[in-house]
Amino acid sequence: MIDNFTISNKEIEKINFINQDDKEFRIKNLEFFNQNGFPSKRDEDWKFSDFREILSKNFKNISINNTYPDEKNFRLINDFDHNFILLINGRFIRSDFKFEEKKKIKIKEIESDKISRDKSENPLVCLNNALFNNGFILEIEKNYKLEKVLIIYNLFSDDLSDHILNNRNRVILNENSQLHTIEYTINKSKNKFINNSYENVLLKENSILKNISIQASKSDGYFYKFSNNKLKSDSQYVNFILSSGLKFNKQDIKVDLEGKNSECNIKSALFLDNGDHQEIKTRVNHLVPDCKSFQKIKSVLESNSKGIYQGKIYVKDIAQKTNAYQLSKALLINDNAEFNSKPELEIYADDVKCSHGSTSGNVDENSVHYLMTRGLTKQEALLLLINGFLNEITSEIKSDTIKKFVEKKLEFQINGY
Amino acid sequence: MLVIKNLKASINNRDILNGLNLKINPGEVHAIMGPNGSGKSTLANVLSGKNGYKISGELKYQGENLNDIPVEKRAQKGIFLAFQYPLEIPGVNTNNFLKTSLNTIKKAKGEKEIDTIAFLKLVKEKAKELGIDEKILSRQLNVGFSGGEKKKNEILQMKILDPSLIILDETDSGLDIDALKIIADGVNSSRSKDKSFLVITHYQRLLDYIKPDHVHVLSEGKIVKSGSSELALELEKKGYKKIN
Repeated sequence: MIDNFTISNKEIEKINFINQDDKEFRIKNLEFFNQNGFPSKRDEDWKFSDFREILSKNFKNISINNTYPDEKNFRLINDFDHNFILLINGRFIRSDFKFEEKKKIKIKEIESDKISRDKSENPLVCLNNALFNNGFILEIEKNYKLEKVLIIYNLFSDDLSDHILNNRNRVILNENSQLHTIEYTINKSKNKFINNSYENVLLKENSILKNISIQASKSDGYFYKFSNNKLKSDSQYVNFILSSGLKFNKQDIKVDLEGKNSECNIKSALFLDNGDHQEIKTRVNHLVPDCKSFQKIKSVLESNSKGIYQGKIYVKDIAQKTNAYQLSKALLINDNAEFNSKPELEIYADDVKCSHGSTSGNVDENSVHYLMTRGLTKQEALLLLINGFLNEITSEIKSDTIKKFVEKKLEFQINGY
Repeated sequence: MLVIKNLKASINNRDILNGLNLKINPGEVHAIMGPNGSGKSTLANVLSGKNGYKISGELKYQGENLNDIPVEKRAQKGIFLAFQYPLEIPGVNTNNFLKTSLNTIKKAKGEKEIDTIAFLKLVKEKAKELGIDEKILSRQLNVGFSGGEKKKNEILQMKILDPSLIILDETDSGLDIDALKIIADGVNSSRSKDKSFLVITHYQRLLDYIKPDHVHVLSEGKIVKSGSSELALELEKKGYKKIN
């Protein structure tokens, strides 16, 4: 079923905001998906995550989601003041920017997305191009820095059994603006479902975007997210990926450093539990001189889990004085865990600082012993070491209240095993 | 306090301790000296309960057989090992770790756990005694600490956890004379009639500052000579070979 899975053009007809031009683009993309199907390990980008096989093992049927129940029981986090956007099954429901100057922020439901009509050979991006019917466009006016953090509540309802959701969000930060976001995913679904999302980010001159993505709890979700980021000069992009707890999660992040002195920071602390499969793939393109990029990925792997980091840094010939660094560290708690790392540097400029490192290993027995000689049980010592290993990432979060909130969530995930 | 009879220990089929006998009474300070490879650190590891050794013989602490007691239980019962090379534990805050450790031990003893305010007061007081900059205690455990700071941190842990049997494994190695004095003061001020110390060292130097009641010479996994603190001076003059 999954091997020769195709989707009818009728699904495109159901989307209400499309015009003729848009429709043709969508049909072309759907044709590409129908010809290629879900990506498999034959595709270099998917060699460690055979999505087709994973879906075949776990799904008998897949249907396009069209349910958007109203979440009456939805509650905001009360740990700190924040603005919010509420999404249910990817659909933009409402937003509240009560801490901000209203006219500085534009938010609306996504419509046809001419700007991101990139031709893609990625079947999931094509599927999203063809079928996305939900999401939001958020634009911050120039010179405006938001007072409070924005939480994007990404809620999935409990009736998504065997559904696939295609949604798309777009964020534009105009010159000299600043936004901090937390993408907070809440899964109510007790059944398996697939979320195929696409995110488009444009950071104009001297703007700053900082994001943290985290899960509220474990779930049977199979997530793929393609994130397409363009950075103009002196802008800064910081992304903390702390989204442990999904059955399958692949975050595919592309960053184009298009303006001088722009900077990209991707940090991740992941705890993979029994049977989880998580991949982070980054591609950072240094297209102009004087830009910086750093990626630091830390993963803890429990039994039968699989973690992957594929990171590529591309430096164009004119991108002199590039400073790029990439590091992946994995801690394997169990012999049945697997971690794959594929660092790649492709450099055409001659005056650059570019490096990468990758380590994976078991817990250091001597460290466990040291902690136990201070009265801690083996389990307590192990938890302390795991937390410590991941805290190196979370300790870089500047706001104390947010850091506390995030570490509490992460600890909750870790203690669950 | 501690009775060791005919203790043998091997690791990977290599015999390291070959029938060691030692008795330490409450309030006593014993020094064990010996050349490299004589089994000094193995003795410290075996007493702490480290895995990986094949052990025979009798090991009694406060009248209780230690052989089947795991590492953390020994610590909870009051055995403390100050490491020769304290480990760096990234991401673990020193103060948080110390508080967790102290409360685990207190709980095991059936005592009330200490709250954060009382704990910070206690740490502040003990750190001051040892000349430890409080700032390092809010850093990650031993990460980026200098050699001296690491050793002082071990003695700070000893002061806070308040154990009964303290094993100092080459605590003097890598220390300058000022740090050595501070550490010796830390140990001396902890001496009491119900605490015992086992000081393992290469050099007599430390024993100028921590006066032992008994000195033992360890060679090839056995105690080959015991005496008063004078023995340490003799060793310093003649070297280990002559003693054998």
